Amino acid sequence: MSVRTVVAKDFLDVRRARTVRFVGGLYTTLIVLLFAQVRFGTGGPSDARMAVWNMVVVGAAFIPAIALVSAYLAIAGERESGSIVSLLSTPVSRRDVVLGKYVSRAVVVAASLAVAFTIAAGLAAVWFPAFDPAVFAGTAALTTLYALAYVSVAIAVSASTATRARAMAGAIGFYFATNLVTLFDDVSGLAALEYVANELLGLGLGADAIQFLGILSNPTRAYLASTMLVLPAELTEAIGLPARESLSWYVQPEIAVAILFGWLVVPVAIGWYRFERADIT
Amino acid sequence: MMPAIRTDGLTKRFDDVVAVDSLDLEVWKGEVFGFLGPNGAGKSTVINVLLDFVRPTAGSVRVLGHDPRTDADRIRRRTGVVPEGNPLYDRLTGREHLEWTARAHDVAVDATALLERVGLPLEAGDRPVGGYSTGMRQRLSLAMALAGDPDLLILDEPSAGLDPTGSRRFREIVREEADDGRTVFFSSHVLGEVEAVSDRVGIMADGRLVATGTIPELRAELDLDASIVLEVERVPPDLALEAVPGVDGVAVDGTTLRVDLADATAKGEVVARVARHARVLDVRSEGTSLERLFATYTSAGSTERSAESADRSRLAEVEE
Repeated sequence: MSVRTVVAKDFLDVRRARTVRFVGGLYTTLIVLLFAQVRFGTGGPSDARMAVWNMVVVGAAFIPAIALVSAYLAIAGERESGSIVSLLSTPVSRRDVVLGKYVSRAVVVAASLAVAFTIAAGLAAVWFPAFDPAVFAGTAALTTLYALAYVSVAIAVSASTATRARAMAGAIGFYFATNLVTLFDDVSGLAALEYVANELLGLGLGADAIQFLGILSNPTRAYLASTMLVLPAELTEAIGLPARESLSWYVQPEIAVAILFGWLVVPVAIGWYRFERADIT
Repeated sequence: MMPAIRTDGLTKRFDDVVAVDSLDLEVWKGEVFGFLGPNGAGKSTVINVLLDFVRPTAGSVRVLGHDPRTDADRIRRRTGVVPEGNPLYDRLTGREHLEWTARAHDVAVDATALLERVGLPLEAGDRPVGGYSTGMRQRLSLAMALAGDPDLLILDEPSAGLDPTGSRRFREIVREEADDGRTVFFSSHVLGEVEAVSDRVGIMADGRLVATGTIPELRAELDLDASIVLEVERVPPDLALEAVPGVDGVAVDGTTLRVDLADATAKGEVVARVARHARVLDVRSEGTSLERLFATYTSAGSTERSAESADRSRLAEVEE
């Protein structure tokens, strides 16, 4: 199976890349600082849940950056430098390249998150007596899934572009289109969706339907919706999220998780399709 | 015998540019085929089609009996490649490149022996390729092409950037591989390289294959003259060299006699006749150099075979 040879080669190459280690380290540092801020600042030792929620929020903004940075050059960078030709001169197919790069970058990202989560869990256990390992583990798992969805997007962008500049434009574009419009109320993606669906197209969709479109089209929103699955009800209530019972079935967190799994597959499939048909010169 | 490479009517267009135009090419198993042409003639595009890096606009292609579009991995399993401009992974060492290539081909490799064979110092093999010179990268690329124990070698400008020692080593390796029954298909705009090592040559210009054959065949086809230059003490008046069969023309410049020959075997008779009438100080024999052939074929639409056009093609090399 030559996917494995691509993975093996990419590990050799990427482990010497500083950027990936740097971004992973930055995320770990951020979590530690946030935990420290809750522990010694606003919340105090009793506020383990707020610490986890902070981890979700900082993750929502930061995880896509880690994933995109780690993978957006995986293929496009090699096309620009020409080394993709070395790779494809050996008995590996284009499919092997796309899948191998995906697996390798996914493992790199998941591994650096695992390091960050291990450190965070250790600190949380010491700093917060009320620390709930199950909540933490669930959050960590969803955050990893979320990260891999963005790795999939980054691989798709990388497989569809021939230069670093275009890959970067694609990655940054996707980051802004999905992240900013979710995390900043001033540029609300949902309001835009609603405007297009109801004002322009006259579909007359309800709030839940709009929310569903948001979750479907945006992994960040899917991630935030999915965390209701693992966060305790008191916490989601405290931060003003709607109660699960009040939501339609198609915006339940389980659906959001399923959509995140969809993000693992669909972008890579599109990237593979495009890469299969590209002229590599 | 099945050809190692065969194209029929291969055409590749990039937007409006026709890079390769109805190419019919056959490379036989076990031969060394030199694929010659100036930069931009379409050589690399042909190689890229053979390896399925680009897809043909029209025509059919068979490499080792397979269609690159559907069976690229079967072709690559039996093919060693030196890609154009030897793109490598700057962060990996030479040894890692070889080991990885062998792994992709699913064969064991003796990296040390390969490094020695292409003339790379063993300590360089343990250094990241980012610090290599162009010549070293080219040697490593060749070693990588050999690492998979291929039946076919496809080498795109393999001698670019090599010093004379490196070029000699390269030619030796190509001959050794061919003697082991492998097919070598290599492109070059360096004429001497092709002339020295190829069994057959194909010349490309402007996306078309303008000539194929052995070098003697090309010479015969073109009917190009050989010539002989004699330095004499004094040019005697009554040589009547034109009467010698095979002599095309005679030019006298001071004490230099230049005799153009339609038949190269007439050289002996020419020298003998001159020696009977004058003291010969020096004799230089000029075969039709491939360079002259090359200039003839590639000077677009022109029948001019002057040294000037050969100079232009040399100039193009230097500029590149």
